[in-house]
Amino acid sequence: MGGDAESELDLTFRRDERGIVWITWPRGIHITGPMAEEAMDRLDAYTGGRKLPTVVEMVGVAGLTRDARQVFTGECTASRMALLGGSPVERVIANFALAASRYETPMRFFATEDAAVDWLTRAGPDR
Amino acid sequence: MPDPTAESPDERLDELVELVVELASGHLGARRAPSAAGDRIDAVTVGLNMLAEELQALNEDLEQRVVERTHQVEQAHRQLQRLALYDPLTGLANRTLLADRIDQAMAGLDRGVEPPAVLLLDLDGFKVVNDSFGHVVGDRLLVEVARRLQEVVRDTDTVARLGGDEFAVVAAATTATRAIEIAGRIQDALKRPIQAGAHQCWVGTSIGIRMAEPGQTAETLLRDADTAMYVAKGQGRGGVRFFEPAMHATALVRVRVAEELRTAISDDQLEMHYQPIVELDGERITGVEALVRWRHPVRGLLGPEQFIDVAEDTGLVVPLGGWVFETAIAQLARWRADVLGRTAFGMHVNVSPLELRSPSFAEDVLGRLVRSGAVATDLVVEITETQLMGEDPQTARTLDTLRTAGVGVAIDDFGSGYSSIGYIRRLFVDTIKVDRSLVADVDTDAQQHRVAAAILTLVEAFGLTAVAEGVETAAQAAHLRALGCRYGQGYLWGRPVPADVMTGLLSTAVQEPAPRS
Repeated sequence: MGGDAESELDLTFRRDERGIVWITWPRGIHITGPMAEEAMDRLDAYTGGRKLPTVVEMVGVAGLTRDARQVFTGECTASRMALLGGSPVERVIANFALAASRYETPMRFFATEDAAVDWLTRAGPDR
Repeated sequence: MPDPTAESPDERLDELVELVVELASGHLGARRAPSAAGDRIDAVTVGLNMLAEELQALNEDLEQRVVERTHQVEQAHRQLQRLALYDPLTGLANRTLLADRIDQAMAGLDRGVEPPAVLLLDLDGFKVVNDSFGHVVGDRLLVEVARRLQEVVRDTDTVARLGGDEFAVVAAATTATRAIEIAGRIQDALKRPIQAGAHQCWVGTSIGIRMAEPGQTAETLLRDADTAMYVAKGQGRGGVRFFEPAMHATALVRVRVAEELRTAISDDQLEMHYQPIVELDGERITGVEALVRWRHPVRGLLGPEQFIDVAEDTGLVVPLGGWVFETAIAQLARWRADVLGRTAFGMHVNVSPLELRSPSFAEDVLGRLVRSGAVATDLVVEITETQLMGEDPQTARTLDTLRTAGVGVAIDDFGSGYSSIGYIRRLFVDTIKVDRSLVADVDTDAQQHRVAAAILTLVEAFGLTAVAEGVETAAQAAHLRALGCRYGQGYLWGRPVPADVMTGLLSTAVQEPAPRS
């Protein structure tokens, strides 16, 4: 299976001119619990603790373990999180991730970038 | 670009069907890898994999909890069983488990195995320890007794605690000889003093044995062993008796007597008779012994030997003793007021060891004296020598309280037991009543004469007063007087008579010698 669980997880972080944080997972990765934890830690470090609107690019993500889902239910430094994926596989995986309904952070799945950005920048509370 | 080596959609759907079949048949670890296409079939594949993972995890979780719960239930069950079958204080089997073991042993009889023996024992002297030192010490004593009992039996035998200070042993597949051996070992084990906390205690045991016969139930065997133990106790502490059928009838009689006695006390069926005690020199009546009689509605006039045992075993000795002292003291007060003038006089009243061990007994007696107006120095309590047991502190306190108030203390039937006069002295005694067996042939048997002489000399040397009991002939009286015995009691001077008759005797005889019968 693709992706590797070594400490050098190939996650990328960038910030666009609107202030949105973009996290990109490598293609073919099966996200495990430790990977999920590392991702959350690195996001915290990247934002310096500030809560910012965030896109998680999961194009090409091949799997998500139960443990990883558990990690993602915790609090993270994102004001809102948009999961961005194109294929039916990504949609299935994303919905497994969304199914645990105790999320502190509002989260939704989007198939297009525009829809994701639109939701993130819209004012007012939403899930 | 489609990969020419990839499986066709139909092939991948077949794979999915296989995956579902495997999962359905319980192989929750089954998974299928999605292709690189990332299409809808891959989405279903990934989704199925994730659902299977979830199901597998929940299942393992459930199984783990079932294992834990089962373990907890088993533990609780074992604990309940322990509570239901074992005595919490000593860890010995309880009555329920004991009955079960007896039943198991009885089942063996059908297979030609030897019968079990049931031994029932209770501790002589346990009540004294418990009353003197408290329940904590009493409990420690019971625990140690339990430990010693377990040491002397075989692995195939069962030791049980039935409650209080009662224990039982079931010796499986045994003979009467071996049962007696076990009884012997038990008594030896309990001969050594027991350290209970800070106190060293001595207890003995009376043991009843029942050899089982085919067809008997556990309940019957225990009851019979209990009856035998009762008989063993009655014959003196530390006895062992096998059950005999005749014992059962006796036991039933005792129960009936106890019930009737309860009524007797409240229905005025009791009467007090008085036997004169005379001064040998001059034969003046100087006192009486009060003897309770029971005018039974059917059986007629009964003497104390026909119901005192039952009274002591059932605790009826307390109300009985209360009646005795109330009646005797009231009568004493009347005599003192009406006929005795200022003559020296002693009202002798028998008291049981159970009463002496009661912390309130001395106060009760002194209270009755005060209320009736009788004089404490006119009262003498009599204790039978053989009934004294051990150096009981409460008994000593009771006697001390009575003597301090002026009440006299006499040892009855002296010479029929094994105590030394020195020991008696330590118990705050004034008078020794020499047993009739030592008086019987004092005038005809030289040996008896010498024995009586020795005892009377000792009594004198310790500064005590001697009363000879059972004097029937003038010759006996003469010999005793010559040996220095001061007082006598017996048919020579009269049988026990009711109060009105004694009043008549006292009116005339206090100043004159007692008439001979």
